[in-house]
Amino acid sequence: MAGRRLLSTRWTLLLSLVILLGCLVIPGVAVKHENFKKCSQSGFCKRNRAYADDVAAKGSAWSSPYELDSSSIQFKDGQLHGTILKSVSAEEKVKLPLTVSFLESGVARVVIDEEKRLNKEIELRHDSQARKERYNEAEKWVLVGGLELSKSATLDSESETGVTRVLYGPENNFQAIIRHSPFDIEFQRDGQTHVHLNNKGYLNMEHWRRKVDTSEGDGEQNSESQEDESTWWEETFGGNTDTKPKGPESVGLDITFPGYGHVYGIPEHADSLSLRETRGGSGNHEEPYRMYNSDVFEYELNSPMTLYGAIPLMQAHRPGSTVGVFWLNAAETWVDIVKSTSSANPLSLGVNSKTDTQSHWFSESGQIDVFVFLGPTPQDISKKYGELTGYTQLPQHFAIAYHQCRWNYVTDEDVKDVDRNFDKYQIPYDVIWLDIEYLDDRKYFTWDPLTFPNPIGMEEQLDESERKLVVIIDPHIKNKEKYTISEELKSKNLATRNKDGEIYEGWCWPGSSHWVDCFNPEAIKWWIGLFKYDKFKGTLPNVFIWNDMNEPSVFNGPETTMPKDNLHYGNWEHRDIHNVNGITFVNATYNAMLERKKGELRRPFILTRSYYAGAQRMSAMWTGDNQATWEHLAISLPMVLNNGISGFPFAGADVGGFFHNPSKDLLTRWYQTGIWYPFFRAHAHIDTRRREPYLISEPHRSIIAQAIRLRYQLLPAWYTAFHEASVNGTPIVRPQFYVHPSDEAGFVIDDQLYLGSTGILTKPVVTEGTTTVDIYLADDEKYYDYFDYTVYQGAGKRHEVPAPLEKVPVLMQGGHVIPRKDRPRRSSGLMKWDPYTLVVVLDKNGEADGTLYVDDGETFDYERGAYIHRRFHFHDSTLSSEDIGTKGPKTAEYLKAMASVRVERVVVIDPPKGWQEKSTVTVIEDGAKTASTAAMEYHAQPNGKAPYAVVKNPTVSIGKTWRIEF
Amino acid sequence: MILPQGLLFFVSLAACSTAVVAASNDGSARPRGVGPEFAKFYKDTDTFTCISHPAIKIPFSAVNDDYCDCPDGSDEPGTSACAHLSRNSPLTVADRPGSNDLDLTLSLPGFYCKNKGHKPSYVPFQRVNDGICDYDLCCDGSDEWARVGGTKCEDKCKEIGKEWRKKEEKRQKSMTTALKKKKELLTDAGRQQKEVEENINRLEIQIQGQEIKLKDLEADLEEIEKQERSKVVTGKKAGKVNVLAQVAKGRVEELRTALAEVRKERDETRSRIKELEEILSKFKVEYNPNFNDEGVKRAVRSWEEYAARGTSEGLENAARDRDLDEIVKPDDDKSGVNWEQWENEEDGCEANLVYQLAAYLPPSLVNFIEDKALAIRGFLEQNGILPTKDEGSASESKAVTEARDAVDAVRKSIEDLKNQVKDHKEDLDTDYGVGSIFRALKGVCIQKDAGEYTYEHCFLDQTKQIPKKGGSTARMGNFVRIGSVTIDQLNESGEIVPEERISLEYAKGQTCWNGPARSTSVVLQCGEENEILKIAEDEKCVYSMLVNTPAVCPGGEEDVHAASGRKDEL
Repeated sequence: MAGRRLLSTRWTLLLSLVILLGCLVIPGVAVKHENFKKCSQSGFCKRNRAYADDVAAKGSAWSSPYELDSSSIQFKDGQLHGTILKSVSAEEKVKLPLTVSFLESGVARVVIDEEKRLNKEIELRHDSQARKERYNEAEKWVLVGGLELSKSATLDSESETGVTRVLYGPENNFQAIIRHSPFDIEFQRDGQTHVHLNNKGYLNMEHWRRKVDTSEGDGEQNSESQEDESTWWEETFGGNTDTKPKGPESVGLDITFPGYGHVYGIPEHADSLSLRETRGGSGNHEEPYRMYNSDVFEYELNSPMTLYGAIPLMQAHRPGSTVGVFWLNAAETWVDIVKSTSSANPLSLGVNSKTDTQSHWFSESGQIDVFVFLGPTPQDISKKYGELTGYTQLPQHFAIAYHQCRWNYVTDEDVKDVDRNFDKYQIPYDVIWLDIEYLDDRKYFTWDPLTFPNPIGMEEQLDESERKLVVIIDPHIKNKEKYTISEELKSKNLATRNKDGEIYEGWCWPGSSHWVDCFNPEAIKWWIGLFKYDKFKGTLPNVFIWNDMNEPSVFNGPETTMPKDNLHYGNWEHRDIHNVNGITFVNATYNAMLERKKGELRRPFILTRSYYAGAQRMSAMWTGDNQATWEHLAISLPMVLNNGISGFPFAGADVGGFFHNPSKDLLTRWYQTGIWYPFFRAHAHIDTRRREPYLISEPHRSIIAQAIRLRYQLLPAWYTAFHEASVNGTPIVRPQFYVHPSDEAGFVIDDQLYLGSTGILTKPVVTEGTTTVDIYLADDEKYYDYFDYTVYQGAGKRHEVPAPLEKVPVLMQGGHVIPRKDRPRRSSGLMKWDPYTLVVVLDKNGEADGTLYVDDGETFDYERGAYIHRRFHFHDSTLSSEDIGTKGPKTAEYLKAMASVRVERVVVIDPPKGWQEKSTVTVIEDGAKTASTAAMEYHAQPNGKAPYAVVKNPTVSIGKTWRIEF
Repeated sequence: MILPQGLLFFVSLAACSTAVVAASNDGSARPRGVGPEFAKFYKDTDTFTCISHPAIKIPFSAVNDDYCDCPDGSDEPGTSACAHLSRNSPLTVADRPGSNDLDLTLSLPGFYCKNKGHKPSYVPFQRVNDGICDYDLCCDGSDEWARVGGTKCEDKCKEIGKEWRKKEEKRQKSMTTALKKKKELLTDAGRQQKEVEENINRLEIQIQGQEIKLKDLEADLEEIEKQERSKVVTGKKAGKVNVLAQVAKGRVEELRTALAEVRKERDETRSRIKELEEILSKFKVEYNPNFNDEGVKRAVRSWEEYAARGTSEGLENAARDRDLDEIVKPDDDKSGVNWEQWENEEDGCEANLVYQLAAYLPPSLVNFIEDKALAIRGFLEQNGILPTKDEGSASESKAVTEARDAVDAVRKSIEDLKNQVKDHKEDLDTDYGVGSIFRALKGVCIQKDAGEYTYEHCFLDQTKQIPKKGGSTARMGNFVRIGSVTIDQLNESGEIVPEERISLEYAKGQTCWNGPARSTSVVLQCGEENEILKIAEDEKCVYSMLVNTPAVCPGGEEDVHAASGRKDEL
C-alpha cells in the first residue's frame, strides 16, 4: 500500500493529463500472450512436434532409428540394463544406456541416458562452466521411497528373438514386452496392453554434437541432415538470448494408452479435468499442454498454457481400469494429446468402438525417466505414486480451517481490528495473513517499523484465541547494502549465478534482487538459521510461512523467470532444474520451520505457489492470481480436483477472486464453494474493496457465516480425509471418476465432488442467478439432502436439488457415518474439547460405515501413537466404535487427555419404521461395569424426506470402544 | 418436540450432576449461567418449560446437562450446548425438531457471569468451556467451569473490578469535563451565530444608507450629462474617424498584448506537455509489466494510443511562429498600421472612408465580419483575456466620467454588502448540528500519526494525509455536510445492534492513482478532547476516521439554550 500511495501522488498529474486528453480505455483483462512462448517459439517443442509430424507423414515407410542392442541386455535383481543405439548415419551410432527397473510396488521405471554426456566426453560452448551430464538429480528432490527392486520379477525365457519379456508385479501378472528393433515397450496387465512406450516411434534423444560453423558458400553441407538447426545453438525470446552451451539435448517419447478414452492429470492448467486433444479440431487445443512453472499474470481459462506449478503425472482411465505414467524431468516439458477411435465394425458406430489415447512428451533437457503404473484402480495410482514422491503431510489442524488473507492488512492495529471483528460477528477463522507490505522496504525477515511497530503484541492477541499468523517470505533477496541477509547471501556465495558464474541480479518486488539457491546444502543450512526466533525477530510460535514467487518469478527475466543458462549449485543449468526450483525453496523453508528452537518440533505450515511432484510432503498450494468472475469460480473446481488426483490435494483457489471486486452474490457463492477446497483461504488484490465476510451486508453476511461454520462443523471429517491422504495418497476432494470408476457417464464430470470417504457429495453453485443444480448420481444408493434429509435416488441420472442463494447443495450418500462437531467456536483450536455428533446415514441394507482420525493437530506425537483412529460401523441395529489405530508409546497418555471428549449426539437417517416405538437405546462402553441407557427420539418427516432418530447424550468417549444397540 | 417426561430419567446424570446448579452463596440457587432476570423460569425443580416454546417441557434434570433440548436454547444457560442455535449456523432439521420457525430467537442473552467484586455480565455461549478465560467479560472465570484440557481460570474480579472502577471514575470525570466543554462550545457557537446575525443587521443598515447615496449620485450624473450634451465640443482629435482611430489603436494594442500573453502561455503549456510526454515515454520503457498494477498498464496503453495520434512534436510550425513574431511587433510607420496618420485625418473624409470600405464589400460579408468580430470579442471577454470595455468612455468629458465613476463605486459597494449579507445568511442556513455546535469547531485541526502518515482533520474544512517519509500531502476530502452513519455495536449479550452516529463527510479530495477522488467519513463519538482515534481505508481511497469530540456528548443543549435565552431577553 505504501508503494501505491507514493505512486499515486507521483502519477496523479500524469493520470489527470491522460484523462484530459480523453483517451482512457477500459483494459481488456487478458494474459500477455507475447510474454509466454507458444510451441512454435520454443525450439525443442517445435522440433519434437515436427519430428512427430514427419514420422506420421512417412507412415510405414519410416522406421525408428532406435534399436536395443540385444547383446547388451542384462537382467539382474529386478533390473534390466542395456544399450540403445541411435543410428545417426550409416557409420555413426549413438549409445544410449537403458535401465528398466521393476519395483517391488509393481511400478516399472524406464531410464534412458546418453553415454557421451554421461561420461563427460563432450565440449561446451562459450567456455561454459555448466555440467556436461544430462540432469539426473531430480529424484533427489522428488522421490522419497518406493524404489525397492522386485525380487520376484523374472525374465521370461521363452521370449522370441528380438523381444525381451519380463514378468513382474503382484503375482507376476504384469508383463513388460521390450522389442529391440525398433525399440519399444508394451506394459501388460492380465495379458492386455495398457501402456505402450514408443508405439508411434516419436522417441527422440537429441544427442550431443559439435557445432559446425557453416561459412558462406558451403551451406550445402548441412542440408543433407534435413534437420532444422535454427534453434540448436541459440534462442532469443522477448529480448533475452539463451546461449545454450550444451546445444540441443531434448528428449521425447510417445506413450499410448490403448483402449483408454480419458486422460487426467499433469497440473497446473486452468482447464477441464479430462484433458483435451492438443492437435487442433473442434473443442480441442492447438497447443500442447505446457509445464514450465511461470508467474502468469491474469491467466486465461480453458487453456493448455503453463501456470505456476507442474506435476508430470498422467493417468488414463476407462471403465474399470486406471493406469498412469510419471515423467520425472525437471526441464520445460510439453505434452501433446491425440485420441483416435476405431470401430470394430464400421457399420455399428459406437458399438465396440475403441478409443486410444496417445500422449507425446518432450522436455528440453535431462534424461528420459518414466514410471509406469498399471493400476487397476485410481486408488492404486494414488498409493504407488505416493510411495515414490511421498504422501501429503498431515497438516497442522488450523491449516484446514478458514484463512483470512488480503494484500494487505496495513498495520498491526488493522490486523487486530480484523481479528476483533470476526469475534464481534461470531464468524470463525483461524489464520490471518500478511502479504508483502508488512516488510521494511521489502526486505524479508524485517517488519516495517512504522506500520508494524509491535508484531509480537499482534501475535499475542491472535494467540489468545489460538489463531495464527502467516507471513510471506519469497526467494528474492533485496540487493542492498547493510541488509545483513543480502550481505550474507553474497559473502557466503549462496545465490544463483548467471551464465558467467557471477551472482545473478534480477528484478522482483524489492527492485534489484538476488535469489537464494536452495539446491545448495549450505544455503539450506543458512536459510534454516534465519528462521530461529532470535534471528526472525517479531515472530512467535504461532507464525507460519507463505512462499510465493518461487517459480522463480523474475520481473525482467525471459517469460518472467530466470534465464535458462543461469547456474545453480553443482553447476546445473537453470534449464535442467527449472520445474523443481520451487520445491527446493519450500524444502529449505520446511526444514527451517520444523524446529525454530531446540526441542520445539512441530509440523510446519507452508503455502507455496510453485510446485512439482513431491511438494505435497511439505506444503499446501493455491491456484495463484485468479479473478473475481463466475468463470474463475467455476474453473477452480476442476483445478482443485486435478491437484487432488495428482498427489497434491492440499489445494485451493483464492476465495472471492484475487483481481477485481466480486458482487455480493459471487462472493457468497465463492464462500459456499471455497469451503470444499482442501485449502480454504480468502484473498484479495490491494486495489480491491475490503471484503472480509463481516463487512458484507445481510443477508449475505449470515449466509457466508453459515458456509464457514459448515466447514468448521465438518472439520473432523476433513481432518480424517487429510489423514487418509497422508497414508494412502488419496485425494481429499474426489472427482466422479475416482469414486465411481466404472460409471462412464461420470468421467467428464468435474463440477461436483465427494469429500474424502464420507459420502458427502456437493455441487457448488458457480453460475449467477442459479436457484437449482442438477447433481449427477452414479449409483443406486439413496442420497439425502444434508440439511433436511430429502431423498434422491436413481443411478446414472441427474437430480434437481434446490440451491437458492442461502443454500449449499450437499447430499449424503447412504452407507456412511459422518463425524461432526456442531458447536461454533472462535477458532478450530477452541473446538478441541467439544463433543462429537455422529451422523449415521443408512444404506439400502440398513448399514453404514465411517472412520475418524484425531490427534493433537500440531506435533509429530502421532508418529508415536498419540492419536485416535476409530471405525464406526452400523449393522444389525448396532452402532459400534472400533479401534483401527496402532498403539505406540504415547497412546495411553493421549487417550487419557482425550477421555472427556465424548459423543453428544447420534443422528440416524432413514431408520427402520419400527424405531417409532423405541425411546431408549442401550449403551455399552468398554470398561463400564454395566450397560447404560440413553434417550432416543424418532422423527417422522413429510413425504420425500427421510425420517430420522436422534440419540441424546450416549455419554461414550470418542477414544473408547463402545456400542450402541438400537 | 416434546420429550415424554420420565424418559430422560434414565439419562446418565454424570454430566448434569456437576453442571446443573452453580455453586452459589447468595441464597438464590439459580442454575449455572442464569441471570437474575431469568431466575423465574428456573424455579420449578421438576419440569422445565422452554422459555419461548412453552409447549415443550422437559425434566429439570435436562437443564444444563450439556445437551440442547429447547429450540430456543433456554435449557442450557450454563453450557455451550445450544451455541449453534444462531442464524450464522448451518442448521439441519435435527437441530430444531418440531420448529419450522426460521426466525431464530434465543431466549437467553448468554452465559451469566456473576463477577462478584465487579459488575455482572453475559458471555456469548460459544465462549463457554472453550479453554479460554474470557476475563474481559467474565472476570470470575466461571465461563470455564468444566476446565476443559486443564484450563483453570481463577477469579480475577477483585483486581479487574478495581481497575475498572478506577477507569470508570476517570471516565465519569472525563464525561463531566466533556460535557462542560460541550457547553462551552455551545455557548461559543451561540455567540458566533449571534455575531453573524448582528453582522447582517449592520450590513443591511449600511445598504440602506448606500442606496440613498446612490439615488443622489444618479441624479447628479443625469444632470451633468444633460449639461454636457448642450455643450459644443470641438477639438483636434475629436472627429469620428480620429476617435475611431484612437479606439482601434487601443484595441489593437490590447489584442497584441493578449496575443503575446496567449502565445507565452501556449509555449509554456507546450513545453509542459513535452516534459510530460517525455516522462510518459520513459515510463513506458521502464515500467514493469509484471508489477501487477492495472493502473500502470492502463496508463501505458492509453499513452500508446495517445502517442499513436501524434505527440507535441508535430505541433510546432516555424512559419506560423514567424508570422506571429511579425504581428506582435509594435506598430510604427514601417510596419503595421500608422496610427499617427489616422489620428490626424480630417473630419471630412470620415464618411467617404466608411462608405468606400463598405461599398466594396457585399452586405452579407459586412454582416459576417461584424458578427465574427462580436463573437470573438465576446469570447475573449468571457475568458478573461480582454477586459470588458465601457463603450463611450473615450469620448466623455471628465465631469461625466467622474460622476459615472461615483455612481459605479456606490453600486459596487452595495453589491459587495449584499453579497456579504447573502454569505452570512447562507451561513445561518447551514447545518452546524444541534445548537449549531460545530460552528465553534469549524477550522479546528487535530492530527494523528498512523503508520507512515500523519493524518489531519480540520473540522468542517478538510482532511489530509501527510507522509512522514517526505512526499506531498494528499487532500482526503473537503467538507460536504454533517451526516450520520450506522455502526454495528455489540450489546451486553454480544448481539449486533445498529447505532446511529454523527459523521462529518468530506469528499472530492485528491484523485487517487487508478482510483476515485479521495473521500473521508469522520465518525464522531463523545470524548473529552478533540482527538483522532483511528484511521482506516475502507476501500481504495475511501477513508474513515473515528474522532473523539465533546461536541457529540449527550446533553447540555438545554442548559445552554436556557442561558442564552435569558441573555436574549436582556
